[in-house]
Amino acid sequence: MPNGRLLAAFAEAVLGEQETALTRARSALAMASGPAGLSDAAGVVGLFNAIDRIADATGIPLEADTAAASADFRAALGLDRFSVAERT
Amino acid sequence: MTELYASTPMAIRDDLAAAHARAWAHVARPGSWWDGTTRVAIAGETRNASSCSLCRRRKEALSPFAIEGTHDSLGQLSEIVVEVVHRVRTDPGRLSERWYRGIVASGLSEEQYVEVVSVVAHVVAIDTMARGLGFDPLLLTRPQPGLPSRRRPAGAKPGGAWVPWLEPADAGDAMAGIYPADRPAANIRKAMSLVPEEVHSFFDLVAHQYLPGTAMRDFSREYRAISHARIELLAARVSALNRCFY
Repeated sequence: MPNGRLLAAFAEAVLGEQETALTRARSALAMASGPAGLSDAAGVVGLFNAIDRIADATGIPLEADTAAASADFRAALGLDRFSVAERT
Repeated sequence: MTELYASTPMAIRDDLAAAHARAWAHVARPGSWWDGTTRVAIAGETRNASSCSLCRRRKEALSPFAIEGTHDSLGQLSEIVVEVVHRVRTDPGRLSERWYRGIVASGLSEEQYVEVVSVVAHVVAIDTMARGLGFDPLLLTRPQPGLPSRRRPAGAKPGGAWVPWLEPADAGDAMAGIYPADRPAANIRKAMSLVPEEVHSFFDLVAHQYLPGTAMRDFSREYRAISHARIELLAARVSALNRCFY
């Protein structure tokens, strides 16, 4: 995906603690996507940084159809170790 | 643009700035279970949590339960509320049902817990965006007077989550505009339904800071300056970094 690496680096930098990395990632994304793109990207990072916390703090499970549809690649990626059911 | 971002170095979409203004006002108003003063204190403690030494030691430990101590708090909230705020803010991926049950057994009600989580989430959404853009965090708003409503939706009951929630069949009008009419409600929409006012506020943020519900699956057009695919790449990367299974 064009600019995929820039987007991922931006998300990592926003959630990270290295200010120079964040400044660099922000500038790179702004140059590639423009100010509106940077603003929207920051919005998405912020929203998901929050909504993840709601999911984890309330212990919601995956919906049955989502769980069924994602079973193969969850297993392949080792994601099940993060499941709420594993955190008792 | 609202006054909220009037002096920032970069323009913010008018609808998003307005959503943030609504969210910030919501944090400062009396809620269902906490008054405005306490809610603003929760917001302040959410920001403070990032510099807590106990949280840092726990985050670095193999198990957060192996580390005991006292949080570095602002001193405005009870220890149990500080524990919830700090844990949700700094290490959400390792929260457990046993920990949650312990919180409730220690005297925090399930409703109060959900409202604390919501205030933390509102602050994290807005503050993280500000950090991404290089803005200073918004100033906390003066708390509004008044008492919490103490209204628990009658239909809320234990379900698949740790916290009780409202199934669509039991929701009545409480979740109008939140639960879709044409398909089952996603669990993330039900997650905080024990306190419906918090769901309405947070999903207002979702609609403007991410996408409205109808737009999430409408791939016939793009709604933002970045494409659906790029939006979902960002969302997935953040969730992976947070180790959020859902």
